[in-house]
Amino acid sequence: MNSTIRRLFGGDWLAALVPLVAITVAFVLALIVGAFVLAALGADPAQAYGAMLDGAFGTSTNFLRVLTRGTPLLLVAIGVCIAFRGGVVNIGVEGQLFVGAVSATAFALAFGASLPAWLAPLATLAAGALAGAAWGFVPGILKARFDVNEILSTVMMNEIAVQLLIFLLSGPMIDPEQVAQGTRVPQSARLPQVTWLAELDARSQLHVGVIVAVFMAVVVWVLLWRTTIGYRIRAVGLNKDAARYAGIGVQRYLALALTLSGALAGLAGAVHVTGAEHRMVEGFAVGYGFSGIVVALFGRLHPLGAVPAAFLFGVLLVGADKMQRTVQVPTATVIVLQGLVVIFVVSSDIFVRRWLSRRQARLAQPSVSAVVTPEVQA
Amino acid sequence: MNFGEILVEALTLTLLYATPYLYSALGELFVQRSGVLNLGVEGMMLMGAFTAIFAIAPAGLGAAPLMGVLLAAAVGALMGLAAAVVNVTLQAEQGISGIGFSLFGLGLSSLLFKVLAGGVIVASGFEPIHIPLLSDMPIIGRIFFQQNLMVYAAFALVPISAWVINRTKWGLQIRAVGQNPAAADTMGVNVVRVRYTTLLLGGALAGIAGASLSIALTGIFQENMTEGRGFIAVALVYFGGWSPWRVMLGALLFSIANNLQIWVQILEVQIGGQPIPPNLLIMVPYILTIAVLIFARQRKRLEPAALTKPFQRGEN
Amino acid sequence: MKNSRYLALLVVVLLLALIGTSVQAQAPIRVALVMPSSITDISWSQSIYEGLVRVQQELGGASALEIAYTEGMFDVTAASQALRDYAEQGFDIVVAHGAQYGTSLFELAGDYPETSFAWGTATDTGADRGFNNIFAYEAAAQEGGYVNGVMAGLLTESNVIGIVGPVPAGDAILYINGFQQGVYAANPDAQVLLAYTGSFGDTAAAAEVAQTQISAGADVLTGTAQQVVGAIDAIQAAGGLWFGTQADQSPNWPDTVVASQVYDWAPMFRDMIAQRQNGVLGGIVYRLTLENGGQFFAYGNFELPAEVRAAADQAIADIEAGVVYPLAFMPSEIFRVAVVMPSAITDLAWSQAIYTGLTNIQRQLGGTDALEIAYTEGMFDVTAAAGAMRDYAEQGYDLVIAHGTQYGTSLFELAPDYPETSFAWGTATDTGADLGLTNVFAYEAAAQEGGYVNGVMAGLLTQSGTIGVVGPVPAGDALLYINGFQQGVAASNASANVVIAYTGSFGDTALAAETAQTQISAGADVLTGSAQQVVGAIDAIQAAGGYWFGTQSDQSVNWPETVVASQVFNWAPTIGQMIDNILSGTLGGEAYTITLANGGLRIIYGGVDVPADVVAAADAAIAGIIDGSITVARELPGQ
Repeated sequence: MNSTIRRLFGGDWLAALVPLVAITVAFVLALIVGAFVLAALGADPAQAYGAMLDGAFGTSTNFLRVLTRGTPLLLVAIGVCIAFRGGVVNIGVEGQLFVGAVSATAFALAFGASLPAWLAPLATLAAGALAGAAWGFVPGILKARFDVNEILSTVMMNEIAVQLLIFLLSGPMIDPEQVAQGTRVPQSARLPQVTWLAELDARSQLHVGVIVAVFMAVVVWVLLWRTTIGYRIRAVGLNKDAARYAGIGVQRYLALALTLSGALAGLAGAVHVTGAEHRMVEGFAVGYGFSGIVVALFGRLHPLGAVPAAFLFGVLLVGADKMQRTVQVPTATVIVLQGLVVIFVVSSDIFVRRWLSRRQARLAQPSVSAVVTPEVQA
Repeated sequence: MNFGEILVEALTLTLLYATPYLYSALGELFVQRSGVLNLGVEGMMLMGAFTAIFAIAPAGLGAAPLMGVLLAAAVGALMGLAAAVVNVTLQAEQGISGIGFSLFGLGLSSLLFKVLAGGVIVASGFEPIHIPLLSDMPIIGRIFFQQNLMVYAAFALVPISAWVINRTKWGLQIRAVGQNPAAADTMGVNVVRVRYTTLLLGGALAGIAGASLSIALTGIFQENMTEGRGFIAVALVYFGGWSPWRVMLGALLFSIANNLQIWVQILEVQIGGQPIPPNLLIMVPYILTIAVLIFARQRKRLEPAALTKPFQRGEN
Repeated sequence: MKNSRYLALLVVVLLLALIGTSVQAQAPIRVALVMPSSITDISWSQSIYEGLVRVQQELGGASALEIAYTEGMFDVTAASQALRDYAEQGFDIVVAHGAQYGTSLFELAGDYPETSFAWGTATDTGADRGFNNIFAYEAAAQEGGYVNGVMAGLLTESNVIGIVGPVPAGDAILYINGFQQGVYAANPDAQVLLAYTGSFGDTAAAAEVAQTQISAGADVLTGTAQQVVGAIDAIQAAGGLWFGTQADQSPNWPDTVVASQVYDWAPMFRDMIAQRQNGVLGGIVYRLTLENGGQFFAYGNFELPAEVRAAADQAIADIEAGVVYPLAFMPSEIFRVAVVMPSAITDLAWSQAIYTGLTNIQRQLGGTDALEIAYTEGMFDVTAAAGAMRDYAEQGYDLVIAHGTQYGTSLFELAPDYPETSFAWGTATDTGADLGLTNVFAYEAAAQEGGYVNGVMAGLLTQSGTIGVVGPVPAGDALLYINGFQQGVAASNASANVVIAYTGSFGDTALAAETAQTQISAGADVLTGSAQQVVGAIDAIQAAGGYWFGTQSDQSVNWPETVVASQVFNWAPTIGQMIDNILSGTLGGEAYTITLANGGLRIIYGGVDVPADVVAAADAAIAGIIDGSITVARELPGQ
């Protein structure tokens, strides 16, 4: 175990533990500020946070819900890791996730029933990942070929994806039953059961997607740190000029980073629709993209760091929802808390960096790959 | 209505509906020119929007409209200050902290709306001001000189911003800090202070942008009423290549595309005898913005080299 | 000492048990709401929350009805966790106030058989899959939308009306469709400008859409979803008027919001609570309509002209009675209907009735741009009629109506050749389902009902005691009418003598005149008759100074002093329902019957000054038929 951690985190378990402590402290500080908000609303903070803990850990079902909510976030987050490591700010994961999910749905509805049972879910996930990749490729190629800033293009493409989703779900892909019943709710038909991901626990909607997500985290870690492609993506992200000097086709790897990032966001959408929801609805996975970006940073832009980070964010989501239900404060309180947690955790980073640099100076060891914030070019 | 009349109406509304983008994008421009990416504009706009309506609504504080704008600016600046602490002093990853501030602003504005206002409250804000003589000119008068104060101020802000950035000492400092903070530092420029001031200004302008949404455009507040406009504003800064004039062009292009797609919807324009699905029309401004950039290459001349890079003395 | 301690313990235990039972007896009903938007959205979520709060107040506050809610649940996964949690906590009724929650709801409802779930808008309670603890609810938004549209159409001065839509789906599209129909029905010259913002909550986008519509000349606007607050403000600034939906939107803009269609969820909750007390945990579909009080109108401070208010009240009454049917669907491209009929569209009877129905629907849908009507009249030759129908089907008409019982055989032969075309056949009850046909509707009129009412009046009005009936052939619709008429006369005047003569033809007016004169000669002073031939007979009885009772169409127009009343066939709702079915993918298989109860049959009076007791008797007959206390036989003994 120790040796694994050592290999992953540059041979220093403290270097892995300290960020975790920092995040936890920041989390707690955010909750303390949140306590004042809760008290101002007339709620008992102790009761509220008790409910939060209970919501996330109170029963096995509650605990498994954390994993259900964390699964798509983890997939989005490891995609974000690729982009940020590759020096591109992919704000477009939200749209890539929608497009991935809706494409997986279209594929499953069109071909799912005619595929063998072992292939149907895999092919559906592949369709989602491919569509997400395509949606990520567009800003990628725009950046590589036309120098269009990716923040601009991905923000715009998120809006386009939302409208595309509504168009498809209220028009070409609308559930025929919704038309027949005259209610015309914008949602797709139910996916054929053969395309569903196996369910692990019905009460929490937990499905094998959680294993897929963790597996992909390992795959992306291998890709980024154990392959030439990954090395080049990171090299471009760390210093474009140096990478260019080293003969790396910088533009190509910028586009590749966005495409791969989109593929994982698309996969997240596909996993969530085939695992949890089983049909596309208006409002599907809204906000998962932005939460995924946050998770990626909580995980210090490391695919394996994203695993506990996604879990932590899942705790926050599930727990805060439960808190809202228990003490009956407006749901906006939950969003305030999430915002506070993000701000505090992201602010805690500097203390980790300082600690690490002091320690490095003491140990005079080479830099630790997992904690160097790459040059994110805007 | 003939096409000319429609165009006049469309342009009139374009100026009006470009105002929130102008305020927020110009504010973001200052922030970015000093080397900081503020993705929290959305949250700051929402806080400004609520503050303004609550300040001026009879059901709220009942203050004068201008007071509402000032308070919104103050609240925006306060969030800008918080963002400065997080981004500049604590050197946080700017892309993420911005999402945090957006979430926080969304949540807090909704919460305050629930607790203080208790539901939708209305206020009449700025009435159109007909500028004497000019507003009587045909076409031009209608488009440019029958707008409300917030519109005039927004467009006045464009040359002012350009002047401040290019012609003043403070502007020089902002540019220096954004290009090479270490060099600026050695020349005696207080990098941290410059970035704090731009974030305060950016926050204040985002707050005003929100106020323009709530009290100049609609006269109400509703939860999450910005619906992503803060992010569009950030995108427009990139579109404009960090030049106030080009940011204005971007805001106008985006707004006119949006207004024209509404006209296409209400005139029931058909293609091949089929009505165009509205959701496809709504995409047009977003697609167009990207497409224009493909053909009119982004000018990166003004790009702050230190954008998103935290500054720490002695690091570089 | 020891004993007293036991005693004390016993007392405590008993007390606790008592408190326990008394608490149990007064345990509040617990209802939890999970909603996509916020309870201050002045639309979808606010309306249900307020409905539930009203019930809470009626029952005596939180001690009787506990309400818990979770708002802003865009994320379906989070919503499903909330639903499960509320069920887990023992809430009695857990409401999933968004159709998007349905999939999750069906996955968890089975785990909590004691809990009632409710979801909407939906019509599926899962009963066919063995669920018995799910209620479903939907709102017929098009009904209130129609009424709003009627008022808007009458109030607009510029004749331009704008609609600010969120996304073209769900409840919003029903409302928008209904509104447009109301506008067109009240004011065919009005132009409706429709634009969507692509979002439910973008108030600034709604304001911009509204201002663009105002620029294009709109002076009256409506719209749906929480975004509309921005649009209301825009129309207020422009000095125009607004019509609201879902919740009462007038408090903030009392002078601008003329009226709001308000969803009243309280009756639904009352019934759910009552059902639960009776042990029914689900399985009921609630539909919020004007008729059942699920929708009502809230008016602002705007001084609504009396005639507009009257038109609104009439529209409400007509919708409640089924006389007007606001379609749920509006055709996105021109909808083409062809009708083949045996007589002329001006026959004052059979063919005119269907043609009027079609033109009413056409007007309601927005005129010839929305609905194309092609007709072939005078097709008494069945072979020629079959050729015409095949021709229409060949030309791609969406709905081909064979308006004559005699066309049935040829219709059933050609319908299978055009599976994409929908056919309608009347009067008939056979849709050809047993032949495997799925694209034929059937329709008929319960003509005996209006015949009965006419007969009641005729029996009271006759001085001579002799009443004549000029029939075409003793079959079909005519026979139903005549049978009903005879029963009505017998009910009001047992001694009256009804003389019936058939001409053997539908269109021979001269023969009908001759038949009528013969009956007048025989002492008849009140006449009735059926089919297009009757115009001859009406003329004859007018000359004799007697009274006439009409059927199929309103025949008083030409002889206001002679025609006492007509049973009018109102086919518009039937045609509307067929179009709704076709647009939702059902091309046939349903049989419709117009009755007094469903508003398809109406008694329309002419210009005769009818004594109050006669009208009262007619009203009593109508009420009796509608409530079932009077049954009118289709056939008389011995037929």
